Amino acid sequence: MSVPATDRTRAEHTVESMSSWLADRIALYLKRTPSEIVPTVPLAEYGLDSVAALSLCGDIEEDFDLVLEPTVAWDYPTVEALAGHIVEEFGALEGGDR
Amino acid sequence: MLRETAARGPRGAGVPADRAAGPARRTAQESAVRARIADLEKRFGDPDDPANPLGAAGLLAADEAGELPAAGEQLLDDFGLNAEFVPTGLGGRLDRLDTLVRVMRQVFRRDVALGLGYGVTSFMAAVNVWTAGNEQQRRRLSELLLDGSKVSIAYHELPHGNDFVRNEFRADPVPGGYRLNGRKEVINNADRAAAFALFSRTDDGPGSRSHSVLLAERDQLDPERFSVLPRYSAVGVRGCRLSGLDFTDCPVPDSALVGATGQGVELALRSFQITRSAIPSMAVGALDTSLRTVVRFAVGRQLYRRPVMEIPHAAATLGGVFLDLLICDSMATVGTRAVHLLPDETSVYAAAVKYLVPRMLTDTMYDLSIVLGARFYVREGEFGLFQKHVRDLPVLSLGHAGSAACQATIIPQLSRLARRAWFAGDEAPPELFRPREPLSGIAFDALTLASGKDSLSASLVAAVDGLPSGSPEELAVQALVMRMLDQLRQLQEDSLSLSPLDRTALASPASFALADRYAVFLAAASVLGVWRGARGGDDPFLADPAWVAAALHRLARRLGQRPADLPPGCEGRVHEEVLRRFHERRSYDLYDTPLAG
Repeated sequence: MSVPATDRTRAEHTVESMSSWLADRIALYLKRTPSEIVPTVPLAEYGLDSVAALSLCGDIEEDFDLVLEPTVAWDYPTVEALAGHIVEEFGALEGGDR
Repeated sequence: MLRETAARGPRGAGVPADRAAGPARRTAQESAVRARIADLEKRFGDPDDPANPLGAAGLLAADEAGELPAAGEQLLDDFGLNAEFVPTGLGGRLDRLDTLVRVMRQVFRRDVALGLGYGVTSFMAAVNVWTAGNEQQRRRLSELLLDGSKVSIAYHELPHGNDFVRNEFRADPVPGGYRLNGRKEVINNADRAAAFALFSRTDDGPGSRSHSVLLAERDQLDPERFSVLPRYSAVGVRGCRLSGLDFTDCPVPDSALVGATGQGVELALRSFQITRSAIPSMAVGALDTSLRTVVRFAVGRQLYRRPVMEIPHAAATLGGVFLDLLICDSMATVGTRAVHLLPDETSVYAAAVKYLVPRMLTDTMYDLSIVLGARFYVREGEFGLFQKHVRDLPVLSLGHAGSAACQATIIPQLSRLARRAWFAGDEAPPELFRPREPLSGIAFDALTLASGKDSLSASLVAAVDGLPSGSPEELAVQALVMRMLDQLRQLQEDSLSLSPLDRTALASPASFALADRYAVFLAAASVLGVWRGARGGDDPFLADPAWVAAALHRLARRLGQRPADLPPGCEGRVHEEVLRRFHERRSYDLYDTPLAG
């Protein structure tokens, strides 16, 4: 996989760091540079179709061992919204460990 | 009257199939289905009788006139075909998807246009309501269907094709309901349906939460605010009444909304998992008739002082078509049974069926046309029905979801399957591959949007060690399965190396080729499963390794492999079965069904 695996643990992720992970990943899907992915613009505006959005969920699952509803990228349709949701999920998961 | 038919149907007083147990349940379910199919076939009558309006001559005449055969519509009204689309819990006869397919195949055997034009699009619309509708909507739709009404599925807008997330037909929220604006194009029965399932934009935002499905009843619409567009004239299914709808500020009540606001795309993707397997499977009936038509030609016509059937090329072609038909049926049967048994895996299987089966049906018709020679070009007489099926069948690849759209459903899931599923998961339950085994009802709400498992492939992997190796045919099966296993390894390697861009609808042609190979592999796994499931059963042909060796051989060649020649017994066994089913008037599919005439 060409995206370097994150060396942060789930708990260390912030909305900002997660946004940058997502922008890197989505840029690969769309053959753009990460800086072109504006965090507040819906991914569909960039041409990420509904089924590819489902596969983004598989990527997150793979890299962070986090099981999400497949439609998560539909319900949180921007990088910012998605990052916020994922970090919240991390918090819920890690909360018990600390 | 239709409701009476449903209540008195051969399934009896509506005791759920699950309550009976074991072999008794199997026999009861199966004999009820057989009786229903025999009844329908009897009503259709002798296909070769020139006086039968539902024989070949009558069907051709209706097609030439651009109409559905009136006698066919009447027959299906009397039979209560719509009850097949309504779940048993709502007073209909729908409890199994593969049974629905078997019944509909009898209609498609005669006339693809009648199958689509009388009924299938009502079923496609209804699936949305069975999946997400509330109790009141489910009841109301059952009433309409059981009264014999048609329902249109209105998804399509010409400018957007299968990219329906870009659809523009609007349902704007207003107090108490919605206001409809825009056009739906190439909609079956738009001129006569009692209700329309409308895929509508309910939010201006881009993406997959901006559309909703509305069920609008014609009688409740203001006739001043909607109109039916002119009828299209098509190359095939000429009797189908394809037109469109144009709405201008047309109000519908809140109660029209099916499921939640913004659930439209999700609902469509779920419904497709049912219809994409079922509809191509129904169309296998049209290939069945075409094969029989050409076998009759080959048996009767003399060339080079012998029947065409004795010319090796012709005999081999017809045997190959029969095998393709069995491959299509195996794959589609697995697809429809998976809806019951593996509902969290059908997003991939249904797309693979809808991709591969219509393509194979169309290719196979071409193979048949070569044997038929110049007669293939004649629109009337003994073989005239053949060219009608040639024109009608491609509608399966076009309507509903094109082949590329189906590949685009598979492509994004490949890398996940490669990482998590292949060579890892549990095999499918054996009843997946046994067409006559009982199933419990359709779990519309258990279908999931993306799959992380592949039990069908796992069944092929698991089968490798236990395959018999006594006869030359069994050894051939074993060798071909090993090749398929290599294919899965290659698929895994290639899928893992897909770049993210190559996992979207805009992927390179190589990704589409990968989806094609995977679909062919799934067909091989289905065929192998059906044979294993039939071993020791009461169908000596399906239990014989000859057909499965020959079918796997065809699939291996389709994958570009060059497998060793088959043992000589295979072709002879297949050929013998082609002739037996012709002379005994049995269907060429997995069910070996007695036919009229």
